[in-house]
Amino acid sequence: MTFQMPKFLRGFRAILYKEFIVIFRDRTTLFFMFFPPLLQIIAFGFALDNDVKHMAIAVYDEDRTADSRQLIDAFVNTQTFRVVKRVDSLAELESMVRRGKAYAGLEIPPDFSRKLHAGQKADVQVLIDGSNSTTALQALNTAQGVAFQQSVGILLHVTNRRELPVEVRPQVLYNPSMRAPNFFVPGVIGTALQIATVFAAAMSIVRERERGTLEQLLVSPMSRWGLMLGKIVPYLCVSMAMAMILFLILRWVFFVPIHGSIVMLVVAAFLYVFALLSLGLLISTRAQSQNEALQMSMTVMLPSIFFSGFIFPRETMPGIFYAFSTILPATYFIELMRAIILRGASFLEFWRHLLILAVMGGVLFSLCALRFKRKIA
Amino acid sequence: MIQCENLTKRFGDVTAVDRVTFSVAKQSIFGFLGPNGSGKSTVIRMLCGILEPTEGVGRIAGQDVSGDTDAIKGSLGYMSQRFSLYDELTANENLQFYARLYGVRGEAMKKRRDELIALTHLEPYIDRRAGQLSGGWKQRLAMACALVHSPTVLFLDEPTAGIDPVARRELWDLLFELSSGGMTLFVTTHYMDEAERCTHVGYIYMSKLVVCGAPDDLKQLPAVNPPGTKRLDVTCDHVTVGLRAVRKLDGVRASTVFGQSMHFLVEESMPEQSIRDALGNAGIHQVDIRPIGPSLEDVFVALTRQYAGGPA
Repeated sequence: MTFQMPKFLRGFRAILYKEFIVIFRDRTTLFFMFFPPLLQIIAFGFALDNDVKHMAIAVYDEDRTADSRQLIDAFVNTQTFRVVKRVDSLAELESMVRRGKAYAGLEIPPDFSRKLHAGQKADVQVLIDGSNSTTALQALNTAQGVAFQQSVGILLHVTNRRELPVEVRPQVLYNPSMRAPNFFVPGVIGTALQIATVFAAAMSIVRERERGTLEQLLVSPMSRWGLMLGKIVPYLCVSMAMAMILFLILRWVFFVPIHGSIVMLVVAAFLYVFALLSLGLLISTRAQSQNEALQMSMTVMLPSIFFSGFIFPRETMPGIFYAFSTILPATYFIELMRAIILRGASFLEFWRHLLILAVMGGVLFSLCALRFKRKIA
Repeated sequence: MIQCENLTKRFGDVTAVDRVTFSVAKQSIFGFLGPNGSGKSTVIRMLCGILEPTEGVGRIAGQDVSGDTDAIKGSLGYMSQRFSLYDELTANENLQFYARLYGVRGEAMKKRRDELIALTHLEPYIDRRAGQLSGGWKQRLAMACALVHSPTVLFLDEPTAGIDPVARRELWDLLFELSSGGMTLFVTTHYMDEAERCTHVGYIYMSKLVVCGAPDDLKQLPAVNPPGTKRLDVTCDHVTVGLRAVRKLDGVRASTVFGQSMHFLVEESMPEQSIRDALGNAGIHQVDIRPIGPSLEDVFVALTRQYAGGPA
């Protein structure tokens, strides 16, 4: 071989070859790079569906007329509710909700039909289990919607009008069916990639420190940049393979349409995993044991689950958490994913996010090499 | 080839190596002895340029080992106590890795690899994963890896710890071969018989270098051979009984059992007959007495006692 490595990259090719072999022979590392992210995207994709349908509801119908039955049908027809039980007392209705057998209880008083026809206000009581705010909100909205619809129908009939005086015609852009997977799965890719990359990179150098091979490397004329590049490139390849698998799952398992450029998606993923792997490597150069590296990784990764906008919108966070979210690579990646996948945004609209990820990766990686000492303690 | 001047390493309040001064000539085999925790590995790490000395100077072939040590790295081989091999790689891949790391490539690498395989007899195990090799073969592979860039100085940190006697003997044969080829070897060990094979030895005790020199010179030291004394080897049956009987005699300064015989340091004037009499009284009659010189063990025991302020 005639090509000579520049001095500052000495050892790069040796480490690169070795690291590739080690990654593919070390089944545990591969398993932990692939299994948890796959589990995460599948579990989150299916479970994080806050589009609640067919909630159990118990009904206490004291009226037992055509009108009361029509009201119950109206509730069921929203698809939000399904009647699980008809009860015979208010106490039983309350008990159903309290025991969690029903998310809501509908009580129709005996004079419902009479008041309706007499032109009086007919009261209907809905008991809602507020211990789960998502389902409670949905139940509340639906109940109010049903009541509104019924009232409007009666009013139109009485006033002889065919249309409402004012009608709002909302149009939901980008995710018209408001499918939860469309919103969540792009975000899950962000956290899933994070798990795959940070842990693996965080182990890579500290493992050599523990086994004593790092000492042998330090005795050699290997350069710091050669070591870091040789370590990161194989992990980059594996992580990008992982990213591709996640995108395939997004498209063909959860059927999330990708509106933007696939190339940009890949570029974003590359910059993101580079930043994360650099972060992992940085942890690995600081930690003295694999255990310490594990704890440090957990510490830097947990906040991004909460503050990256993956689950909770960043805009509603208190100022300090919002500020904190701006230093997390996941924040930018998740926004990029939603922009490219859902909104089909163009490069000019999101290049700043790409630049921020690139700078983060560059700085973190340089820190790895510059702060790595070629001496032991 | 190797020089230390007041080489010192402190970790916080603990002084691991205290003003150690010695030098090792080219092509010699330098045995570095001392109990666990005395500072042997620390000295090696400083000389290999991976641990910064607190004070003093270390030089390899005239080059300072502190600060940027790139200049010496190519001429230096290091085999650590833990045989720094990658368990997931085969023996061959380990060799290739270290060769590439030192920029040995292509034909040069193939040639060097074949040489080292022949030297260490690794051939049958070349495609075996390093993690599956036994201690002795791991040690040979680690040795081959440390030699792959043809260093001029080789540091071996306890290379024979935990390996069988045959592998130990073969390793020493290999070291002599390397030395005769012009290499300078620096070996730490616990074994006295290994120390006897070295051209020069240094003994470090409680972070300080107690003595340094050729084994034969050390045996001539006055501290080892107090004036007016001689050393005797007494061979007989029931050496433990005999030791108790002779030890009581006036004029016996030190005594120890050595296999089937006893070693005594006695007054020059002490007649052999008084030892025979004492043994005879203890019921031992078949006795063979001959004068001997001190062993290296005697040297280190004497010097350690002197150093620690005990009886010589």
